[in-house]
Amino acid sequence: MKKTADVYRLSLQSKFVLTFTSVVALTGFVWPFFYVGNLHWIFVIAIAASALLLVSEIGIGSIDAKSIALLGVMSAFITLLRPLGAGAAGLEPIWFALIIAARVFGPSWGFLLGITSMTTSALLTGGVGPWLAYQIFAAGWIGLLAGALPQKFAGRLIRGAAEKVLLIAFGIVASFAFGILMDLQFWPWVLGSNTQLSYIPGGALSENLSRFITFHFASSMAWDIPRAILTSILIVLTATPFLRALRRTYFKAAFLTPIEFKESARTVS
Amino acid sequence: MITFNSVSLIYPHSLHTVFEDLSFTIDEGEMVLVIGATGSGKSSLLRLINGLVPHHTGGILAGDISVDGISTSLTKPGGLAHLIGIVGQNPAHGFVTDTVEEELVFGMEALNFAPDVMRKRVEEILDLLSLAHLRARSISTLSGGEQQRVAIGSALVMHPKVLVLDEPTSALDPIAAEEVLSILHRLVHDLGLTVVVSEHKLERVIGFADRIIAISADGKAEIDIPEEILKKSPIAPPIVHLARALNLDAVGTSVREVRRMTTHLRDFAPLVSDSQLATGKTVVWVDSLSHSYGEKVALRNISLEFKSGEITAVMGRNGAGKSTLFKSIVGFHKASGGQIKVLGTDPVELRGRQRLATIGYIPQEPSDLLIHSSVEKECAESDQDNGLTPGSTFAFLARLAPTINRQAHPRDLSEGQRLSLVLALILCSAPDVLIMDEPTRGLDYQAKSLLVDTLVSYSRNLGKCVLIATHDVELVAEVADRVVFLADGDVVADGSTLDVLLSSPAFAPQVAKVMSPAPWLTVKDALRGIAQATGKDSLS
Repeated sequence: MKKTADVYRLSLQSKFVLTFTSVVALTGFVWPFFYVGNLHWIFVIAIAASALLLVSEIGIGSIDAKSIALLGVMSAFITLLRPLGAGAAGLEPIWFALIIAARVFGPSWGFLLGITSMTTSALLTGGVGPWLAYQIFAAGWIGLLAGALPQKFAGRLIRGAAEKVLLIAFGIVASFAFGILMDLQFWPWVLGSNTQLSYIPGGALSENLSRFITFHFASSMAWDIPRAILTSILIVLTATPFLRALRRTYFKAAFLTPIEFKESARTVS
Repeated sequence: MITFNSVSLIYPHSLHTVFEDLSFTIDEGEMVLVIGATGSGKSSLLRLINGLVPHHTGGILAGDISVDGISTSLTKPGGLAHLIGIVGQNPAHGFVTDTVEEELVFGMEALNFAPDVMRKRVEEILDLLSLAHLRARSISTLSGGEQQRVAIGSALVMHPKVLVLDEPTSALDPIAAEEVLSILHRLVHDLGLTVVVSEHKLERVIGFADRIIAISADGKAEIDIPEEILKKSPIAPPIVHLARALNLDAVGTSVREVRRMTTHLRDFAPLVSDSQLATGKTVVWVDSLSHSYGEKVALRNISLEFKSGEITAVMGRNGAGKSTLFKSIVGFHKASGGQIKVLGTDPVELRGRQRLATIGYIPQEPSDLLIHSSVEKECAESDQDNGLTPGSTFAFLARLAPTINRQAHPRDLSEGQRLSLVLALILCSAPDVLIMDEPTRGLDYQAKSLLVDTLVSYSRNLGKCVLIATHDVELVAEVADRVVFLADGDVVADGSTLDVLLSSPAFAPQVAKVMSPAPWLTVKDALRGIAQATGKDSLS
């Protein structure tokens, strides 16, 4: 039976492109542990190209007008939230909105929201640079995973307090993961080559890993913890009305509602 | 141009048939008006034309609809975009860009027009809709009528053959409405455009319509010329009610026609007016009030008194200072100059329950006051806030809107039900002053008469002071004792409704225009007046 368009879902081809570009991007984050030479600029370019490839792949796929409209409104909302926190000390009031919206509209749409909102908000805060492509992927993955959180547990819908707890737990994990990813992306370059915590090109994996972890704990935990706390607080405060409003939108947008065209009643009867 | 062939429609999650076996044909170059009570399916009918229903909403559609030979069941709304222009109820919701020129170009950009074509069309539309002087203006700074013209313009740049408008003039003042309608009239006559328009305020559009589609509550619809439809339709403008009440042979659609038919009735009309102003105690006292927003002066040295048991209508153009006056009285801001006392207290200092019991304010968009997810929860909160026994707000609401669904989300209610809900929430704390900004926007005649009854009984029986800002002269004629007319921040007229409305031809209600110079504003006034003058009750 015919139905109205669904909320955006990645096509098989898009899933393939997403997986491929994600592997490129992930490699871009972790190669310093495995490779001796300097691939930094290669990956800056490769990741930016991957992001473009992904966006154009999704762009030529069919996104329904309603999903586009939702995406536009939510991206604009998140873009406006971002300057409120100025990014200082990890106080980024955007993650809760991304997580809650992705929870309602699903992983594919959540991924899109992550990349569009990170891009548009970067334009507003002036944060455009080599790091942007890394941030785009990180935000996209957070949206994707938030959308993929289980809707049911033991046959029952996860709603109310349980849902809040789930979202907070995910918010905390995402806040730390984002910090780690962003650190990975610049740790090899930021310290120079001769400190206790510096990256050793070609060094043993265990050595580099322990240096990275120490570096991360020493420098960026001060960012991750406030980010996690702020995200949790905002989820606690806004989840109930925000989820309710978005679910209502979902219902009102009439995704996947059956359409039936019949012969006129007169000719049938 | 548009053909409906035995069309029936059922929405998903509903058993209610919106239309049943609807058939009609609209010819090229016709202007067709769609009328019906709120919720009867006017908007659904309009959206069926370009396929938004059911392609976007889902539902079961039987029968076929074709526009210019294209069937809407086979073509998605996007494929009809070049053929059908649609203008929504609130133009501000549809704008996507900042300036007038960009907004006009946007649709063409999306359809990939060549740049030189776009340039030419933009110029053409700017001239056609007299928007040339506004081309670089930011849309948010335009008046309601201008915004509506921009919305029509951005639909017209695609050179559609059909233009569909959902209540284009409901939110406009009479002059801006006239401006929009005369442009539609010109488009129909000069360009042969087919226009389908729905509207509640029939008195405004009736003169322009070639035919009317009247949808009744049971999903049946009739299409015919206005004179025929209006003979029996329960939804009719005041002049039609007047013609019926006076037992005239035919109903007229314009003031001129009805005036010609009633010459014999005006011969013996008394020319004295017997109006008098209320003599209650002063509730709101405004003394040399001034207010400005930055450079712009909104109110200039205004002194007014509003008394208990009196309904005052504040009229004037958009931007004349009506909303600023109300916000000052409510106490949203401290006025830049002058003083306001509501029952002896500066409204800025009112707090908590004392505020609830003193001032009730209903803003232009009543749903701004609704924050809960169901009617029931709104009512429960109001009970708690006002210290009433649980259920009393809902009981009050049930009297205003007996069919209201307790569980419904406030935003899913019809405009009339939503206004009833907000009225119930505000009135159950029995405020001494009730202030309403543009209460009749989007209301049909039925909801309006409910509003009139509620306001009149609140003010007469409970002796409360009621202030309304409105463009709706027919409402003013029905409900108000006194009219204050603002222009450019000054009070230019203040007096009894009769005196003020009769002194300005543009703002006179239809019945007054027909019966002028007799001092009658409503059908009721006219009947009573004629009965008195002829010394017998000849008309009942």
